[in-house]
Amino acid sequence: MANNAQLEVKNLKKYFPVPAGSLHAVDGVSFSIEAGKTLGVVGESGCGKSTLGRAVLGLNEATDGQVIFEGKDITHARGNAKKDMKKEMQIIFQDPYSSLDSRMNVQQLISEPLKINKITHGKEETEKKVKELMDIVGLASRFRLSYPHELDGGRRQRIGIARALSVEPKFIVCDEPVSALDVSIQAQILNLMMDLQEERGLTYIFITHNLSVVKHISDEIMVMYSGTMAEKCSCDELFENPLHPYTKGLLSAIPIPSIHVERNRIHMEGEVTSPINPKPGCRFASRCPYASEKCYSEMPETREVKAGHFVACHNLEAM
Amino acid sequence: MSLLEIKNLEIRFNTDAGVVHAVNGINLTIEEGESFGLVGETGAGKTTTALAILNLLQSPPAEIVSGEIIYKGQDILKMSKNKLREIRGEEISMIFQDPMTSLNPVMTIGEQIMEAVKYHSGKSAADAQLRMLEMLEKVRIPAERSYDYPHQFSGGMKQRVVIAEALAANPALLLADEPTTALDVTIQAQVLDMISSLQKENKTAMLLITHDLGVVAETCKRAAIMYAGEIVEIGTVEQIFDSTAHPYTKGLFNSIPSLDKKTDRLMPIRGLMPDPMDLPKGCKFAPRCPYADESCINECPPLKDLGEGHYCKCHHADKGAPLYFPDEKGNELAYEHGLPVSNPGNDFLGKGDGPNGK
Repeated sequence: MANNAQLEVKNLKKYFPVPAGSLHAVDGVSFSIEAGKTLGVVGESGCGKSTLGRAVLGLNEATDGQVIFEGKDITHARGNAKKDMKKEMQIIFQDPYSSLDSRMNVQQLISEPLKINKITHGKEETEKKVKELMDIVGLASRFRLSYPHELDGGRRQRIGIARALSVEPKFIVCDEPVSALDVSIQAQILNLMMDLQEERGLTYIFITHNLSVVKHISDEIMVMYSGTMAEKCSCDELFENPLHPYTKGLLSAIPIPSIHVERNRIHMEGEVTSPINPKPGCRFASRCPYASEKCYSEMPETREVKAGHFVACHNLEAM
Repeated sequence: MSLLEIKNLEIRFNTDAGVVHAVNGINLTIEEGESFGLVGETGAGKTTTALAILNLLQSPPAEIVSGEIIYKGQDILKMSKNKLREIRGEEISMIFQDPMTSLNPVMTIGEQIMEAVKYHSGKSAADAQLRMLEMLEKVRIPAERSYDYPHQFSGGMKQRVVIAEALAANPALLLADEPTTALDVTIQAQVLDMISSLQKENKTAMLLITHDLGVVAETCKRAAIMYAGEIVEIGTVEQIFDSTAHPYTKGLFNSIPSLDKKTDRLMPIRGLMPDPMDLPKGCKFAPRCPYADESCINECPPLKDLGEGHYCKCHHADKGAPLYFPDEKGNELAYEHGLPVSNPGNDFLGKGDGPNGK
């Protein structure tokens, strides 16, 4: 893959032991991101997109594979190496209602990472920095002493963003940061995140199930299905020329807020098969209208069909 | 005569913290067999309205201050408990947002579907079972699974069980409260298609509550947009989508990232929905509206008739005109009119707390 990649993930696997066996949450995913770009990760609930984001940061230690950030292998970073890594790589969580300590006020919430990472010293400096961060994320300073329960979802998510930004990271995993918000607030947060990216050259992994959001914010998009990567390519290419049958079905299922669109919905019957002790073969085979015998016996390899367009499917020629 | 007619409905909740004005004088009608979308953001009063239709609001704290809900000529709000029991489930039934909490975890799904049928039709157990199996087939769940419990089903299947239950007694009106919000897009597509086809087959009218304008475009014929307990715009789907009149509705459309064109930045609505305990006295949307002027702040606009069943609650209703106009540099910036912006640091494009944000 490209040499100028900031983050490189190679054959990443994360299995969870469960009573029934082993749950293959992420099963051999590889990708790379250039600095300052956004990789959107889309998929349905349970497809392993959040686990992928967490495994990249080492919040769930990977079972197998490698995560390389700026040339360093951080897959199993420990001690100081891990601490350093956390200053470079941060996460914004989905639910601004449960990811903030309800007994801390805004000032305390934002100063916590500053103190832990010894970024600011002394009360005065910390307060100044908190004020600066609140300003950056658009939180009025009158909320300095408010507690999370007094604020609405959009403002809470701004606190989450300020906390992530406090250590001046280069790279942020955004795990469904706008899913819990109403559309008008969602738009505000998306704009803020895009502004911050432009100003600071941040790299994002943007995890979401919302395809119109991912299209808006991403440079590249990866479609995940049941722990595996189905397709990855540039944003425009994915919407203009989707190749994987799952991507096609997914795109046709989006409700479009317009009455002039002709809908050719591709019906995908059935539901996602269990990721616990999965059978060999393509995970999508049981729902795929093009599935052949080979699909049930052999996992398709990821192929680069066009420059930058990766697809994992046996039947591309047949379709 | 319309199937359902809501007249000037006003509901408030009397809480320890104060009076919450949840629904503030709404009017709407639903014809037989029609699918009607009720759109709005969290806290707009959509669910409260639906619960009032079934007279399910708990009082106290809820208080229906005024208004009538006329169903087939009778006011639901004045019905006796026995009469209500007859109507609920048989005439009007409801699908709730979260299928996990609306199913009984200790009853098999077969029993749950039969319960409604037995109660309303007085059918024998054997007949009720036949009806149950028929419903399961319609929602494409294998008959042998009727002995399974809710936890053995996935989210999409559970919602299909709820649909089977709601439609088992052949109601004339279905209230669907965000029926697909908890589901993934591909499953959402399956469930919506199923609701629509069953609804057409049985000629059931539907009130679909959602925050997703895409879902409305696909399933409804008419729709109303709710904001802070009021209906701000109502009309056919064509009128609402193509000649949008209310600034709030326009703002909603601007906030949704488009799938067909790449825009650099979205145009969110500034600020937040007002606190329902402390509503502005004039137009409820005025503090967030780029058109707002003196009259909007002092005077609540009437529901203006724009013709052909299209109504809009705005002093400046302007069909189809864009909400924002480009500035002199050609950037699609906010057109600010009327209210001076006291804080020049405020960024209209949603950087944060504007002067009107609370």
